[in-house]
Amino acid sequence: MTRTLLLIAAGAVSFGQNLPDVLKQGEKVFAETCATGYCHGLRGTTGGAPRLVGRGFDPAFINNIVTRGVPGTAMPGFGESLPRPDVIAVVSYVASLNGVANPNIGAAGSAPAAPEIALSPGAARGRDLFSDATRGFARCSTCHELNRIGISVATPITQVPASASAARSLVTPHVSTATAGSEIMPVLVLSNTTRSVLLYDLTASNPVLRTLEPLSVKIAEGSPWRHASVIGSYSDAELDTILMYLREVVKP
Amino acid sequence: MLPGVYGQTGAADGATGADWPHYGGTQLSWRYSALSQVNTANVKALIPIWIFQTGDYAENLQATPIVVDGVMYIITPRAQVFALDAATGRLIWQYRYPPVQAGNLRNSGVAVSDGKVFFGTRDNYLVALDQMTGRELWKTNVDDQKQCQCGISAAPLVVKDKVIVGGNGGDRAERGYLTAFYAKTGRVAWRWYVIPGPGERGNETWKGDSWKYGGGNPWMTGSFDAALNLVYWGTGNAAADFYDADRIIAGADKGKDVNLYTASVVALDADTGKLRWHYQEVPDDNWDYDSAYETILMDRQIRGRMRQTVVHMNKSGLTVVLDRVTGELLSVFSIPEVRNWITGVTEDGKLVGRNEPKLGKTDTFCPSVYGAKSWNSMAYSPRTGFLYTPTNELCNDATANDTKPVEGRAMMNAALTPKLPPNRTTYSHVDAWDPVTGRRVWSVPYKYLLAASMLATAGDLVFTGDPEGNFFALNARTGDKLWSYQTGAGHRGSAISYSVNGRQYIATPTGWQASILGGVAAGLFPEASFRLGSTLLVFALPEGAK
Repeated sequence: MTRTLLLIAAGAVSFGQNLPDVLKQGEKVFAETCATGYCHGLRGTTGGAPRLVGRGFDPAFINNIVTRGVPGTAMPGFGESLPRPDVIAVVSYVASLNGVANPNIGAAGSAPAAPEIALSPGAARGRDLFSDATRGFARCSTCHELNRIGISVATPITQVPASASAARSLVTPHVSTATAGSEIMPVLVLSNTTRSVLLYDLTASNPVLRTLEPLSVKIAEGSPWRHASVIGSYSDAELDTILMYLREVVKP
Repeated sequence: MLPGVYGQTGAADGATGADWPHYGGTQLSWRYSALSQVNTANVKALIPIWIFQTGDYAENLQATPIVVDGVMYIITPRAQVFALDAATGRLIWQYRYPPVQAGNLRNSGVAVSDGKVFFGTRDNYLVALDQMTGRELWKTNVDDQKQCQCGISAAPLVVKDKVIVGGNGGDRAERGYLTAFYAKTGRVAWRWYVIPGPGERGNETWKGDSWKYGGGNPWMTGSFDAALNLVYWGTGNAAADFYDADRIIAGADKGKDVNLYTASVVALDADTGKLRWHYQEVPDDNWDYDSAYETILMDRQIRGRMRQTVVHMNKSGLTVVLDRVTGELLSVFSIPEVRNWITGVTEDGKLVGRNEPKLGKTDTFCPSVYGAKSWNSMAYSPRTGFLYTPTNELCNDATANDTKPVEGRAMMNAALTPKLPPNRTTYSHVDAWDPVTGRRVWSVPYKYLLAASMLATAGDLVFTGDPEGNFFALNARTGDKLWSYQTGAGHRGSAISYSVNGRQYIATPTGWQASILGGVAAGLFPEASFRLGSTLLVFALPEGAK
């Protein structure tokens, strides 16, 4: 039912670009994105992924799959990673492989993903430093999720430190000290019930989510753990750049 | 004697006994069981004893079961873990990892040690469960899947007090690595980057910033020599493949050490992760031949001298025998019958007549990116001295492009179309090879493609399965087919053998793969019926017949 409605909606919208140009662009996007690797093969004939030629797919169905992917399979959604004109072009192209003479999918399926927050050049550099993979675990995104990147070990950032030195000397009230057998460790406690204690062990550079027996662990307030110990890979200038990024994206 | 250590002969013993404790059987990765109750004389009497259906039919059952003290541990592609009574199939506990919205689900298996069961996940966590109860003890993120798009499909390797795991997604713009975590706490012990960073030796083999996105992921499971305290692993090809102009230094000699340490076998210190030696099999691997696969540690007489070796094959079917103490090349041979990517290889490992992909041009390359053999493992029998391997005879058309790297994005720079080589009626074979002489001893052809691992046993049997659902036993010395059983679904997993209370069992996962090689097979052989599934079948001789 939904598919039929979308198809009608699609048919009602006119296409602003010359169709042969769109198909040509779609063929290029397809060759570079969909035919590559273990996937659909050149012109969708055969490959590691399903054949796409002559399957009776309609544009709305194709658009839905291209945009959202197929959960549980190797097919990712391209709604966010490809520019919308490329999605439109590749959907038109695949529709043409399925005998659709006048693919017209401008309004079919979901709207393009919300644009990312526009960043100043400095903040964009800060974003890259925030999640800089060359630092391994020694990067902000190991513990902080922001703007859909990172692991949410820490609570969301709501206040931006005023300076690099303020970021280093940050004392979080959330870190406490757990004693379990011979181990004494700085921890973030997620839950503490009669059945189990769930906490992040912050001893090493990778936070470890551990489940401990309540009777085997003692939690004490406070810890010698300091933020400075995990952001040592960044220079003051780099931290300042990251703070520029935070100021532009953190919602207090 | 414990499996995987040095036996009375002084040679490394990689045979399993009652248990199947590691992914490759033992840490030497032979996939060989010393059990001989089931043998060439009585194998025809094998019958199914129990069956376990996982209920998770996403991308079938690809894992190697682990058996320790009569309990079997098996994982599905969605990371549902089951502990089963290995004699009866009775469920002891089960664990379900939360659903992950990420593509290409597969999982090669768990590791068991230190009272824990370890596994990696598609969203890139390493998880430890209590071996007795299945309760989660710890989990840690290895890398942000949202950023790198990477995940873990390999079975981890336990080495002393550590768990070592690599990441998949070698064909993406990222920098591959292995990470060792302490088994007890999940804390990181060391990380070894396949691609050296600025200032480190080897970084000079990369152009500009290409080292940041050069791939090379060691995405399968390695081996361990306890006496040498060395861990062995294969690394993936450099990204991008099919187009090298953005990653190699202009005018670089393609004969040796290009884009280190991709497409190599490496030996690392087990305690520190420091590189001891490397051997690059395919310098500037432009064909996606990937060297990420099993490293088989065996001691063999070579040219009159006993050598400690590691034997390794990449997807081109090029197989090297290296001294595992020094990395010295002792022997090299090529397994597939159809080959055009090189015209040959010299005794010292130099590739001759490289058939390079050209930007914007469509060429046919054999073997294909799907591999003469992929991640499914070979087996090695010390009784026959042979390696047992499935080989696919398949080519692909490739049209190279010059797509630039975007972190986490796919970076396999070619449109690819698989193709059957002409003038053949069979497209795969199971072979026995002598790794010392590089000679094929016997070969059993098969019409379609083979994608399951091999299992060798001291009963002089070799077991594997085909995509049509047949699970069969061959005579390890002659290749004669001695037994076959229709399991109802295709084979893409790894069979094992173990015993409980003196009874030998042969266990095989079933279920053909829907994507990648499975997709290729469906396209090339539309008339065939390769069925999906997710069931474990366990065979033994009838009671009283043993």
